[in-house]
Amino acid sequence: MADTARSSLTQSRPPFYRDVTVVKWVVQIFVLAVVIGSMFFLASEAGDNLRASNVPTDYDFLSVNPGIDLSEGIDRDPDTGGRALWVGMVNTLRMALAGIALATFVGVIIGLCRLSNNWLLNKIGSAYVELIRNVPLLVQILLYGSVFANLPRVTQSVGPISGWLHLSNKGLSVPRFHIADGFYQWAIVVMVGLVLANYVRKKRVGIQDLTGDDTRPIRSALLVLLGVSAVGWFVHPVFGFLNTPLRQISEGISLIPQAAVQVALAVVALALAVRWVIKFLDARRSPAGLAKLTDDDYFRIIFALAGALIMVFVVLILWPGLSSWLLNAVSDFFTVLSEKFGNGRSGRPLDVALPDVIQVGKFPNYGPSGLNLSIGFAAVFFGVVFYTAAFIAEIVRGGVLAVPRGQSEAANALGLRRWTVLRRVILPQAARNMLPPLGNQYLNLAKNTSLAIAVGYSDIVQVGQTVYNQTGKTLPVVSIWMLFYLSCSLTISVVVNFFNVRTKIVER
Amino acid sequence: MGSGISDAFDMNAGDSIGELPGKPVEVSSNPAEWLKKNLFANIANTLLTVVGGIATVLVLRGVLNFVFSEERRWDAVRTNLRALMTLAYPESQYARIWVSVAVLVTLVGLSSGLWANWGTIRVQRLCRWGMSLGGFIILCILLREPSVLLDSNGIVLRDSFSEPVRESFSSAMMSRSTWWIVGISFGGSGLAGWYRLDSTGRTKTVSATSTVLVPLGVLVVSLWVAPYGHYAYSDGLFIAEPGERVALSTSIPWTWLYLLLLATMVLGRFVRNSDLAGIAKTLVNVSWVISPFVLYWVILRDPDFDYAHVVSTDLPMGLLFGFLGSIILWWLTRSTGETARIFAVCLVGIAGFNWVAAAFGWYPMLQKARISFLLLAVAALLAPNFVGELAKRKKLVTYWLTTMLLVHYMATTINSPSTVDISSSEFLGGLSITLFVAALTIMFSFPLGVLLALGRTSKFPIFRVLSTGYIEIIRGVPLITILIFFSVMVPLFLPRGMELAELAAAITGYTLFSAAYLAENVRGGLQSVRNGQFEAADALGLTSVQRTGFIVLPQALRVSIPPLVGQVIATYKETSLLAIIGIFDFLRVANSAIPSQTAFLGVKREGLLVVSAIYFIFAFTTSKYSQRLERRLGVGER
Amino acid sequence: MSVNDATTAVSEELAKRKDMIVCVGVDKWYGDFQALKGVSATIKEGEVAVVCGPSGSGKSTWIRCINRLEVHQNGTIIVDGVELTNDLRNIEKIRSEVGMVFQQFNLFPHLTVLDNVTLAPIWVRKKPRVEAEALAKALLERVGIPEQADKFPGQLSGGQQQRVAIARSLAMEPRVMLFDEPTSALDPEMIKEVLDVMRELAESGMTMIVVTHEMGFAREVADRIIFMEGGEIVEVGTPEHFFVSPTEDRTKLFLSQIL
Repeated sequence: MADTARSSLTQSRPPFYRDVTVVKWVVQIFVLAVVIGSMFFLASEAGDNLRASNVPTDYDFLSVNPGIDLSEGIDRDPDTGGRALWVGMVNTLRMALAGIALATFVGVIIGLCRLSNNWLLNKIGSAYVELIRNVPLLVQILLYGSVFANLPRVTQSVGPISGWLHLSNKGLSVPRFHIADGFYQWAIVVMVGLVLANYVRKKRVGIQDLTGDDTRPIRSALLVLLGVSAVGWFVHPVFGFLNTPLRQISEGISLIPQAAVQVALAVVALALAVRWVIKFLDARRSPAGLAKLTDDDYFRIIFALAGALIMVFVVLILWPGLSSWLLNAVSDFFTVLSEKFGNGRSGRPLDVALPDVIQVGKFPNYGPSGLNLSIGFAAVFFGVVFYTAAFIAEIVRGGVLAVPRGQSEAANALGLRRWTVLRRVILPQAARNMLPPLGNQYLNLAKNTSLAIAVGYSDIVQVGQTVYNQTGKTLPVVSIWMLFYLSCSLTISVVVNFFNVRTKIVER
Repeated sequence: MGSGISDAFDMNAGDSIGELPGKPVEVSSNPAEWLKKNLFANIANTLLTVVGGIATVLVLRGVLNFVFSEERRWDAVRTNLRALMTLAYPESQYARIWVSVAVLVTLVGLSSGLWANWGTIRVQRLCRWGMSLGGFIILCILLREPSVLLDSNGIVLRDSFSEPVRESFSSAMMSRSTWWIVGISFGGSGLAGWYRLDSTGRTKTVSATSTVLVPLGVLVVSLWVAPYGHYAYSDGLFIAEPGERVALSTSIPWTWLYLLLLATMVLGRFVRNSDLAGIAKTLVNVSWVISPFVLYWVILRDPDFDYAHVVSTDLPMGLLFGFLGSIILWWLTRSTGETARIFAVCLVGIAGFNWVAAAFGWYPMLQKARISFLLLAVAALLAPNFVGELAKRKKLVTYWLTTMLLVHYMATTINSPSTVDISSSEFLGGLSITLFVAALTIMFSFPLGVLLALGRTSKFPIFRVLSTGYIEIIRGVPLITILIFFSVMVPLFLPRGMELAELAAAITGYTLFSAAYLAENVRGGLQSVRNGQFEAADALGLTSVQRTGFIVLPQALRVSIPPLVGQVIATYKETSLLAIIGIFDFLRVANSAIPSQTAFLGVKREGLLVVSAIYFIFAFTTSKYSQRLERRLGVGER
Repeated sequence: MSVNDATTAVSEELAKRKDMIVCVGVDKWYGDFQALKGVSATIKEGEVAVVCGPSGSGKSTWIRCINRLEVHQNGTIIVDGVELTNDLRNIEKIRSEVGMVFQQFNLFPHLTVLDNVTLAPIWVRKKPRVEAEALAKALLERVGIPEQADKFPGQLSGGQQQRVAIARSLAMEPRVMLFDEPTSALDPEMIKEVLDVMRELAESGMTMIVVTHEMGFAREVADRIIFMEGGEIVEVGTPEHFFVSPTEDRTKLFLSQIL
């Protein structure tokens, strides 16, 4: 009986057009082909039309003097298009980083207000969130801009605190902290301090664990760090000797031949892929033997190997410049670093410059020594901060409300004090709920700074627009924007992921 | 200090924790008790109340002084209301605008009559609203600084310290008598209701619809009686007649619209309880989807058909495709089998090849024919789902005929010139273009977003990689860069000098952008569909298309309604970026058109405030409605 | 354990019938974990086979392989003469021939009971709606809940839901029914109503494979009991053989733990 059953079972393969696996892959590859094909088609069409209408698409403008002045930034009068965009990028990042810090602060406060038992605070929080969230950011930015633009004119003694804090229709001017002469030497001292502080903290925690005494590990560590930094403020010139070794490292790196780097990169790519495949196969291996691989498994393996091969191809043939660029960049980095040491640097690591008002022509204006924040900056900055804060407040509220009530009851039952319950039980759990959406909001804030284009703050989009208005090279500029924002997004999501993994509860 | 703050902020220890977020604190019978519990529970709490109170008063006072300042030029907004709504649309053709609004109002009325069950609101709550509103208005009257005195030339009078001279407090309060009446009548009626009604009276309810319709009615009536003032800008002249009533050209249409709304709501309610409900619902749904196109192409643009061409070419072609397609589809649905599928794949191939061939100019097939062919191929792909009883086969053929005729009609109207006598570059503007772009964006991005979400949750790795890549790239860059990119790229693919190329580019950019975000919302819904649902569908032998269409998507979309409404609001707010890429939406009118008029040079803040208010009203009511919807859906859930 | 033992262990009468399900050497891996190790068994037409064994023994995996909710990697599965391969047509055919009832019911919550039952006949069997609804009503009558047709699944009790799920599967007029622990998610008082429906189904001559822990049901209804552990079939036999004189030590251990 069994034999006849087995003999009749010839593992017949179905015709290919009815085979599930074949159909599945044919459909996918067909769609992939259609997508790639239509993109190719669109690109070539666009290329033809661009050529026909004489729209340039090259990147020459990056090294040509654009002849534009920027309203603010590290370089008001950039000598190349690339430099202008670079200034724009720095402006964007400056705005985004400061905005993220302040928006978090404001958002947490508003969120706590919304959670409060106090009726008035609760209503204030709700009113804030509803008002800000339901009006488009761009409208808000324009509104702030037009309100600021109606501030009093600049005069020689414009207030509120002349010489320290100037507020007028040219914007805000405040004292500027900047890094000075011995900063990098001092930074070495601070790093030593950090290591020491960490050591002290660990030691103290160890004692606390052993004896149960409150040894205040964080406080002592901070004290150590402060002490070392304070001493370093005066003795930092002793690190001037680092100049020579750093320069030697730089020279050493520039001696490495480009081919060696190329080969090294290729080998690394291949090795990573092979290691991944071996690990993957190991995970599929059991005492009973190697499991049958599914289609997806094959796809992954092929994908990993193909990726590595493409990398090798890129490194060796397509873009050999990458390797030399890497070499030069590392070498330059060390050269620049070495110049920050020695050479009789003995001044203060940090310095402050007071704002001033100068009168060059007919009208007075803010001088260069203070930290000048233009109307455009203020409008965009307050716009994104207030707007994002409303969303952060909702995230904070949602995060805290999502902690089950039983958690605080359990903690109260243990006899913990309320403050301890909040700090040790509620907030850590709430923070875990809040992190992913918070990362999203930071990302949105960074992207929203692009609305600066509406009020003329020189961020990367506004500078880019000025550049392409001058040169007509819209598409290259747009591609640079997209690359920049994509790398910002990637960075933020990597950072958020890092914290996300660390705060994740271990579940089985 | 620490424990004080934690008390004030400790939501888990208080009694508000078990309540739904946003639910108002229940007012206890004794005001003093309520105050003690909610404002002055302990020292820290009292401190916070005082600080918060002072801050609120200061901010409110600042806002009031700003809004009601004598320097504000609100007449700039009043005069330009029409520009804010429709920009340069010619006065002589304005009836078309009213007809468009009437169509939308009809649809709103019918829909709310047919579907909406807005539920009821407790009298108690209405009373509380009345008291709060009245109290707030009175607080505002008291907080606003006394007005600045002006001399006969309209210049601000100043004293010896060059501070402006203000009227006395008492005369200021007197001059705000209208506001006093408004505030006291709101607060008084709320208070009276609160204390007159016993506990059973307070728990009585009124329908939520009437709480919307009655105030609207009062507003409409007030158009006829209240002296809002008559302001206009016509024939290059600014008209400003404060104290007058609004022009008849404003009050008559609005009255008619209000009556239309009432009538259609009643009609909808009537139809809902009759046998026609099913058909009526389908019709209204279809009308919503095609309304933007019909409004644009038929009412606002009014095609000037070349009837010789229509009769000789367009009509025969539409009929031919309808007829041939019907025969083919009828044949394809006669029984299951691979023939139908193979035939459909062949059709897709041919249809695709048509486009490639046309792109390379190999043979000149009309665009309309190419689109029809593609549609036929899609219908053929769907045909196996309609095999079986006669009714289903008829349904497919009906769908086909309707789609075909609609597409042909639209294509013909697009290709016909317009009889509306204005240049198309400033054809529409203001709020209407904002709403138009928002509606089209939502409509186009929805199917695309659902497809992307399906791709991202697909078992097929290539689909997953493609969708994920698209979504993440789009979500990684700001909208403005995408809009600028498409404003360069899209015109390259359109015929040289085509009308409205800018608008097409903007809608393309918005659609592709918003689809990525929409996909993420739908993905959340898709992931909430349990694995067992897929397995049950598979075990019953449903194909993957049927499984997705009948089982997975209906459940996923229901879960994602709240985030989808959020996405609609976001899209609507994002239309403000039209102002940056050079389209005259109402933000741009307020931000640059009005300030450049000679009469109102540099008057910007007033317009921007009005724009914010309009955005706020739309977005706020939508979000409140969606929260209500969410709660109601949540109740039915198990 | 070979297929021979399995077939000799059933009555003469049953052995003469035709093979409805034939499994030969079925292997299945999840990653590096082998869930099925050469499972071979033959189920005759009209037979009721109860599969039991400790949790994680591969019972569910096996019957899920039979209508390809899981894909087996080695071996052969033949249902009613149709081999379960990568062939689309065979998969379609087998899925419409094999009904399945799940532990968690898996009713479609957004459709009424009637729509749940008529969906597949209309769209897979291409039946006219009127006919499908008549069939559905008859089936709901058969499982004892004709009055619930217009309710949504969420409004029914667990036992009622499971009976709707059985009706939904029967609406496809399957040749074989698979039950994957149909009573495990139910409250004790509801188990009986579901078991009654299944008993009635068995008496009507349906071919059934039932994964269950209900030993009373197994003893009363089963033609054969298949005991699985660690992804293998350990012992096959009639209920008398299985409960009275099991031969394998692992079976004895299992029985001592659950009885």
